[in-house]
Amino acid sequence: MGLAGAVAGFVLFLAACSKSGGTTNNGGDNGSPDTSLVKLGNAITASYQGLAANIAPLDAAAVAFAAAPSPSTLTAVQDAFKLAYKSWETVSQFEFGPATDKYLTTHFTNAFPTDTNLIKANMGGTSYVIDGLGNFAAQGFPALDYLLFAYGNDATLARFTTDGARQYLKALTASLKTKSADVASTWSSTYKDKFGKGKGTDAGSSLSLLANSFVFDWDVNLQNYEVGIPIGIYGPTTLPKAPAKVEGYYSGLSVELLAAHAFAFVAIYNSGINDKVKASSAQSNGQPLNTAITAQWTTLTTKVTTLPNPLSTGIQNNDPAINAFFTEIRKMTVLLKVDMSSALGIKISFQDDDGD
Amino acid sequence: MMTGIRNYLIKPRSIAPLAIVRIVFGAVLFISTLRFIAKGWVKDFYITPRYHFPFYGFEWLHPLGPTGMYIVYGVMALAALCTSLGLFYRVATVVFFICFVYAGLLDKTYYLNHYYLVTLMSFLLIFAPANRKWSVDVRLWPSLRADQAPSWAILMFKYQLCIIYFCAGLSKLTADWLLHAEPLRIWLPAKASTPLIGPLLRQEWAAYFFSWAGALFDLSIPFLLMSRRTRRVGYVLVVIFHTLTAVLFQIGMFPYLMMSATLIFFFDGQTVATVQPVREIKGFRLALLGAYFLLQVITPFRFLLYPGDLLWTEEGYRFSWRVMLMEKGGTTFFYVKNPETGRKFEVNNRSFLTAYQERMMETQPDMMLQYAHILERYYKEQGVARPEVTVQSYVTLNGSGSRLYIDSTVNLAAQQESWFGHKAWVLPRK
Repeated sequence: MGLAGAVAGFVLFLAACSKSGGTTNNGGDNGSPDTSLVKLGNAITASYQGLAANIAPLDAAAVAFAAAPSPSTLTAVQDAFKLAYKSWETVSQFEFGPATDKYLTTHFTNAFPTDTNLIKANMGGTSYVIDGLGNFAAQGFPALDYLLFAYGNDATLARFTTDGARQYLKALTASLKTKSADVASTWSSTYKDKFGKGKGTDAGSSLSLLANSFVFDWDVNLQNYEVGIPIGIYGPTTLPKAPAKVEGYYSGLSVELLAAHAFAFVAIYNSGINDKVKASSAQSNGQPLNTAITAQWTTLTTKVTTLPNPLSTGIQNNDPAINAFFTEIRKMTVLLKVDMSSALGIKISFQDDDGD
Repeated sequence: MMTGIRNYLIKPRSIAPLAIVRIVFGAVLFISTLRFIAKGWVKDFYITPRYHFPFYGFEWLHPLGPTGMYIVYGVMALAALCTSLGLFYRVATVVFFICFVYAGLLDKTYYLNHYYLVTLMSFLLIFAPANRKWSVDVRLWPSLRADQAPSWAILMFKYQLCIIYFCAGLSKLTADWLLHAEPLRIWLPAKASTPLIGPLLRQEWAAYFFSWAGALFDLSIPFLLMSRRTRRVGYVLVVIFHTLTAVLFQIGMFPYLMMSATLIFFFDGQTVATVQPVREIKGFRLALLGAYFLLQVITPFRFLLYPGDLLWTEEGYRFSWRVMLMEKGGTTFFYVKNPETGRKFEVNNRSFLTAYQERMMETQPDMMLQYAHILERYYKEQGVARPEVTVQSYVTLNGSGSRLYIDSTVNLAAQQESWFGHKAWVLPRK
């Protein structure tokens, strides 16, 4: 190879080198959108709009209740809370982009069991920043669940005789209202288009963000927090069972929330993730993977409606239906986390893969 | 015959290829070390994790603290820069090698074939007189200057690269790769948004084309590069192939490492009479080189000594140039049982491992075993005298559907790792 060849090779090499800086992780915009991603983006935007639409009346009802606590204003705010909490279950799968930017995440919005001591301190006059990092366990839906339901309506009305309690309630719903409105408007104005165009499967691509968050929400939030921890699968030192650790413990909403959560998973899966799974050649026990996943969704959504209500009482009574349901959740965890993630070929990390 | 080989190995050659590879490969190492630091991986890989997965036999190695690890990577970057410049060359290459190997041995989570490539190349650079032309060292010590180098110093790089490509090619001669086009069939359609070639990637035949072309490339490139007549064509193919993979896959610096290392096959034009007489190759050096290459040739084939499917069990998988061969995913549910109370509970892996460590552990039996021992130690400290650790593990390989991977009745706390022992508790691939 002559000198010219050497120089040419070198230039080619450098050109290739510089290219890597910009385009290897193609999470960004590259031309026309992907049909399935557009469908998914629309569905996600609609979920956030639904959440914001249910939180606004919750905030209004909380303001009305705080101004004049009475059995009727309490019922109004409790009803609004139930609707809003159930719509939370339709968005907890999307913890990326606008949701993380605005801290509308499970950590800040749905950390349960809630920290009742911190809530009491905050109501009692300790200064607090409602969205502060240290306040995550005293805010969001679980905090409202406690404030609006704990120990019956008489105890609740008694709780709101102080100004501190009323202010705290309003601060909680106002924060949710601002954040949910922000996220809904960001999704509909800009992020939906960006999401539709973020093609590919590298870390940072739309499918990777969605699938990882979706699987994490199933694996950690639904499987572990909503069922696994209350029935006592973790920890050598904790009591085998912890019924008070269910979601929506004080309002007794646990089963309704779990059902809303499970149905929301099915809806999102069927909004375009299914297209991607169908397009793969992946198999499960000799049948197409999508068939296996769809069948398991049916099992889960059928069984969730037969669970003892509320879940905490069922756990106390060792109802075998709950453990049986957990087994079905687990089967789905394997299908989503192993089979689906692998079939889609998505990356979870920005770390380099093995070369060629 | 020995004299023949010996004469062949000491035959003087132009030193240019060595100097060029030193400059370019060193620069790529420098860039990739800076990139590693800039991406925050020193922190993510060595500072954040609570536990690590050291290579067998190196459990005594531990990461230094944050300052220490950044110093290691800072020194590594500096050593790479000095290597490229040819400044304090011998010291620089030794320092780079030690830092790089140290970091690599700390945690097998991060093992990549291209880190192994860097390890070997930087080891060979230590012994090559690559700083005797176009280097700062020559400026400082003009007597170092040489226009020629003994043949062995160049050949060792060539042979090393040939082994890499050829073994990578052989490992692709499987039914999954050639007959089912897996895993490219899973990966390529997802790249349909790539400019120009994107729409093609959605076609099923594209996966077959790339599978066969990839295998053919790997198997033929050593011959194309070794022959003077075909090496230009070979290098053009090298550039095309690696550029393509750089665009399609998230594989970081690997393509550039290969494109720079393969420059060793060029620049061997006639040189003027030697400035520096070529020394005789010492017997022990010859033996060392022989042993090194014997090991290089044997290591990739050690999998033959194990029963079962290599990609499934991963016994003999690392250090064998098996790349891009599998889309493997898994999940594990680890259980700890206190035999004294009979209480059995599940472990939350994420409270011990980072997401990346967990993900890597969930498809690799030796890491599962290490993790079981991490759990055993932890729960002993928690007061469980003889914790029993079992795992329910599901793995899917190339879209074949998840199956139970590890015998879920085996107490992994009672199993020990060994140098090359077979792990009977890995269930066979069905």
